[in-house]
Amino acid sequence: MKRQLSTGLVATIFAASILLISDVGWQPKQAFAQDVEAENYSYFANRRRTARFLTQATFGPKWSEINALTGTSASEWFVNQTNLSTNYALDIIEEYRETYETEEDEINDLIAGSRNSAWWRNAIEGQDQLRQRMAYALSQIIVVSDLPEAVETFPQAVGYVQDIFARHAFGNYRDILEEVTYSPMMGFYLTYLGNEKADPETGRMPDENYARELMQLFTVGLVELKGDGEPKLDLDGNPIELYTNADITGLARVFTGLDFAEEPRTEDIEEVRPDVWALPMAIYPDLHSPEAKSFLGITIPAGTSAADSIDMTLDRLMSHRNIGPFVARQLIQRFTTSNPVPGYVKRVARAFNQGRYVLPDGTEVGTSEKGDLMATLAAVLFDGQNRLGGAWRKSDYGKVREPVIRLTNWARMFNADAENPEYAPELFSLGEISALSQRPYGARSVFNFYRPGYVPPATLAGARDMTVPEMQLVNATSIPGYINIIGEYIFREEADEEFLEELQEEFDESDIDVDEAKAKTTLVPDYSALHSFAMDNAALIKRLNAMLLYSTMSEATKSNIENALEHEFFEEFEDEEVLDEKVRHAVWLIMTSPDYLIQR
Amino acid sequence: MTFTRRKFLRTVGASALVGSTCGLTPSMFSAQAASISGYKAMVCLFLYGGLDSHDMLIPYDQDSYNSYSTVRQSMINQYAGGSRSRSNLLALQTGSASNLGGMQMALPPEMAGVKTLFDSGDAAFVSNVGPLIEPVTKSSFENGAALPPRLFSHNDQQATWQASAPEGAQEGWGGLFADAILDAGGNSGAETFTNITVAESGPFLIGRQAFPYQIGFRGPASVDALEELGSNDISAEEADFFNRLKQSFIAQNFNSGHVLELDMANALRGAFDANDKFASAASNAQTVTTPFGGDPVSSQLKAVADTIALRDVLGTNRQIFFIALGGFDTHDAQAATLPARLKMINDGVSSFSNAMKELGLNDSVTLFTATDFGRTLAVNGDGTDHGWGGHQMVVGGAVKGREIYGTMPEAKLNHDQDSGGGRLIPTLSVEQYAAPLGSWFGLGPSELTTALPRLGNFDAGPGFI
Repeated sequence: MKRQLSTGLVATIFAASILLISDVGWQPKQAFAQDVEAENYSYFANRRRTARFLTQATFGPKWSEINALTGTSASEWFVNQTNLSTNYALDIIEEYRETYETEEDEINDLIAGSRNSAWWRNAIEGQDQLRQRMAYALSQIIVVSDLPEAVETFPQAVGYVQDIFARHAFGNYRDILEEVTYSPMMGFYLTYLGNEKADPETGRMPDENYARELMQLFTVGLVELKGDGEPKLDLDGNPIELYTNADITGLARVFTGLDFAEEPRTEDIEEVRPDVWALPMAIYPDLHSPEAKSFLGITIPAGTSAADSIDMTLDRLMSHRNIGPFVARQLIQRFTTSNPVPGYVKRVARAFNQGRYVLPDGTEVGTSEKGDLMATLAAVLFDGQNRLGGAWRKSDYGKVREPVIRLTNWARMFNADAENPEYAPELFSLGEISALSQRPYGARSVFNFYRPGYVPPATLAGARDMTVPEMQLVNATSIPGYINIIGEYIFREEADEEFLEELQEEFDESDIDVDEAKAKTTLVPDYSALHSFAMDNAALIKRLNAMLLYSTMSEATKSNIENALEHEFFEEFEDEEVLDEKVRHAVWLIMTSPDYLIQR
Repeated sequence: MTFTRRKFLRTVGASALVGSTCGLTPSMFSAQAASISGYKAMVCLFLYGGLDSHDMLIPYDQDSYNSYSTVRQSMINQYAGGSRSRSNLLALQTGSASNLGGMQMALPPEMAGVKTLFDSGDAAFVSNVGPLIEPVTKSSFENGAALPPRLFSHNDQQATWQASAPEGAQEGWGGLFADAILDAGGNSGAETFTNITVAESGPFLIGRQAFPYQIGFRGPASVDALEELGSNDISAEEADFFNRLKQSFIAQNFNSGHVLELDMANALRGAFDANDKFASAASNAQTVTTPFGGDPVSSQLKAVADTIALRDVLGTNRQIFFIALGGFDTHDAQAATLPARLKMINDGVSSFSNAMKELGLNDSVTLFTATDFGRTLAVNGDGTDHGWGGHQMVVGGAVKGREIYGTMPEAKLNHDQDSGGGRLIPTLSVEQYAAPLGSWFGLGPSELTTALPRLGNFDAGPGFI
């Protein structure tokens, strides 16, 4: 009787989370073993659920993965992913230097672009998908960009930061903050590299840039938050600001006396030895502010060293009540939904604060220290809010797929080889007011490609006051731009002579011979497994629906695609080329449909 | 029929927001109030990062220059060619509307074209403008005056400049100005093209009806594969196929219970409709012949000029444009980077002024600057930090030029408008700067108050136009 009652309770909670009558979190500890098991296996219970989970947690599922993982434990997959060895950008940057260096210390386009190559290779080919995806999410909260020309020829500069995120993707947020603070790239990007203490004679003040953005963008935000990420209000109903400019000028003194480890006070930054960009900045005590540093209610005493001041600063920020919900809400936005309900934020923030989370199979992850990212990420992915059954029924759950992830999704699903992304030069030009409107580590400013608080105006979402960050990239120019560029990839074929010649012309500038084998296969999709379906439009659409949309295609989209595929151009069924062409069109029309552009 | 890689040429264009006008929220304006006769356009040049106007509109009389150079000497020395040395500055002779308290101001040498426009009466400056809730003095500043939230923060002050509130603000005064025009029946049939952005825009151009239409340097974007659709060179069979593709791209008959899917489908449809309409208008009109440079300001202003040239074909009689230039967050290397950017402004604005004269619209088009905030007068080594008030530029035949409006703060630290480090407490609010533009654009007093809710907290401000 007692057992029945408990099971009934669990069932009720389960049903509630499906119907979303109320905002109920999953409580695996309260369930009995068989429920735990059922729950654990529900994430990968069928291909549809597996595909959806992998769409959220990776750079896109492969069909082989969907098939292999269906019926297995998602908790085990999560833990296995965290144990895979890490792919580092700096290793690849070094590999490229060895491969493409024609003269010692000579930097050519292929070496300069190697951190881009490293990113695409790791995102598309890396086994450590969960880690790379988490690193990419973190890079959109703590932002550096290689857009400034001065770092164009130093792939190590951004590569070093990429590796901080990869190394600590399942580590602690505090470690990321510390390593990033000492990274020359952040020092350069937010202008505290070479920053000096105040000079009362000239009126010179310490640079305030990093002090401000460290608080506003990387840790606590601007206004007091409740545990669920919603702003706390004063008696007049206004948000309560966390700090004034006095806190900024106080904190700015902390970030003085940091400069390149081996070549401090460099007048021309472009003359710096490349490997110095991959070393933490060193402290030059004479340049560090000896004054007391007051901010957010603490005072670092006068005479405290730079290293101790930075430690105390980061400890203060980590201890702040805002940091949990502040980071939690943005991570949810990067993986699952743009406008999470407060309860979801609260539960993820709790995992961040407590540093642990119980996976659906009962395994506890995390170190129990505040800031644990393995626990936080598990909370994002396994929260009851995010379960297919419940989320799917909500009319506002989900997000606009990030343009960059649409491309990786395509490459992974259709096995397009990305070991040598330099053979697809388009990948590097994406930053220039591009069709994708997004390039990893290439945002236009420290405010990323879009803002977490962006409410799209003149939309249904805006009328509901929903935050939809990626919608900030959607406009009358980017829409045709995306249709063009994704088409360019979907229709990509093995390189012909003309393409090889064009590529060689580009490589000539670096004095490198094109490797024809690499050129021929790079980012060329393989649709051959779909040819057998392509004889029958309905069968083809059904299979692609399962591959790209976890079988959620709307009737209108189905009908629009069928209508195009029924055209007489595709009548020659026995011709392989026609079948291939048909598959390509179907993929293109799906990947440009509202059904695909919104990840539910 | 083969679609090879080469069919999919890359499209070049800027990014920001979809163009369409959707009336999801009711209008705030009563019908038929704004004046919509003739053609008028406003162009907002937004300087992202926070322009240091201390190094643009520079004290010139010997005493003031000495005072300025005492604070800034270390950085003045870093400017190539001594461009901030007094002997190289371009002194401005102002008229009777300027009250500079005995000061004389000058422009740096890279702004010679703007100096020419100033001298000919086509340009003016408005000094120390910034976001305010109510008039603020130093003592009220220190004693709890109502201040705009999140001062000195980039994104929030950009939003406050554009939309009177920090980040998250949805309606900008450019959008609300446009709403008043649309309510009065302006741009009938061409509502989509009322507000146009060539840059990454914030809320400035968004109203309750008005919504920015995004174009690239060379006009609207298009789908390369559909390029031949509508041409006579393709067979009926091909046209039919392209139309089927297009039906899919515009998500024909799409329906969903999901908010984001519907918004996306609307965006797809709206983008194709607007781009088709604009492209068709462009194929029937001439572009301007005035030469423009290749820098980002010139390129954007060329796109604006070419769009203005389409006004009769598109059927627009009131337009607001948004263009932008980044790179003004000069925490470091200010001396190395600022002159090049000011030169882009100089070159772009000079060409644009010529282009408007070519179109006979010099009196009908007004360009104005805006920015996150001014910067500290104090130097942090080789740059400056976030400030508050700053000087703005207005250009056009309708501007009462050759003047510097407002109250010019002294060029030193710790004066009556210094909130610390030379962060200027504004003597003019954004509302006082925006209202004369709106009034010239055709808005009546009640419409201005609707578009600029805090306008009533301030006096009329200078009538620079």
